[in-house]
Amino acid sequence: MDWTRGVLSSLGANDVDLVASLPDAALDPLLSALESDPGIETVTATREESAVGILSGAWLGGRRGALVCQSSGLATTVNALSSLNKPARIPFLGIVSRRGDLGEFNLAQVPFGYAASSVLDEIGIRNRTVSDAGEIGTAVDLAAKTAFSTEEPYVLLLDATVTGAKDEF
Amino acid sequence: MSSDPARADQAACTEAVLDVTPEAAVVSNLGVASYVLAGVEDRERNFYCWGSMGLTTPVGLGLALAIDDPVTVLDGDGSTLMSLGALATVADRDPSNLTVVVFDNGVYATTGGQRSHAETTDFAAVAEGVGLSAAHVSDDGAFVEAYRVAVEGEGATLIACDVAPVDPEARPPLDASHVKRRFRSAIVDPTR
Repeated sequence: MDWTRGVLSSLGANDVDLVASLPDAALDPLLSALESDPGIETVTATREESAVGILSGAWLGGRRGALVCQSSGLATTVNALSSLNKPARIPFLGIVSRRGDLGEFNLAQVPFGYAASSVLDEIGIRNRTVSDAGEIGTAVDLAAKTAFSTEEPYVLLLDATVTGAKDEF
Repeated sequence: MSSDPARADQAACTEAVLDVTPEAAVVSNLGVASYVLAGVEDRERNFYCWGSMGLTTPVGLGLALAIDDPVTVLDGDGSTLMSLGALATVADRDPSNLTVVVFDNGVYATTGGQRSHAETTDFAAVAEGVGLSAAHVSDDGAFVEAYRVAVEGEGATLIACDVAPVDPEARPPLDASHVKRRFRSAIVDPTR
């Protein structure tokens, strides 16, 4: 559970005070910690693409936001990223659990989860896969700094080695 | 004036929004809503979408969570149908400074006027069904009244406004990055 502390302190250090999310088993410890943090407002969206819209509107109004979801949800955001955030240069920080690779049991999670980084690269959204839990605090801090400084989204993809894999079988 | 007396005039209603709430931050849907808004007045406090269909209302919600000024979304029937679920999130947060106007012309106007499901969809009933205050109007006078009530009332409101399809000449600036810079500079305290 320790990896969530680094995320929270780096969000706070970078004035990220709004989180839009959908539930995810691997990210549940983080989402619970965010919800109980008085410095963070959390909004549960019905679709990750809408969460990107909410975070974009909040940035237009002067706030800094983070998207917290799993990679299958990130798949729903491709049009938002491509036709809103990229052309208008509207930033947010993405903290996404990357399914589809180590430990994955569910084939439905494999195609996009495994390819998430390549898809983001293709549409020009910078991203980095974090595999070491010890790096997560620094990665969130530096990703937030570059996202809000360059005014472009930055997405961190958290491997199962950070979040732990869902053990169904 | 609307060509169809049974439906409101989108330009007149858009003008009423700017008259009633001149300080409002306005987020407009891609296509007709943005074209009409740009034709009525190309203000700094207009954020036009050129893409991201279905995200106009979520962008307005995020904005309403960030600022105290009134936020008005000018959405369309096609875009609203694309993300009906977003209305549930609006209802959950229910910010008092947010008004969502759904200009329902019944068609996908920018792609050639193909029919949407608006004919069989009651947007006000959908909004109420997810817990959001709503009104349904179909003439200019009723729209202005409903808009005044929405702006002054507690919580967020959706106004479904039946309008006649129009094909405006005006276009907003195409440079999305310019539009967002202009918009954000007009809205955000520079010390933030």
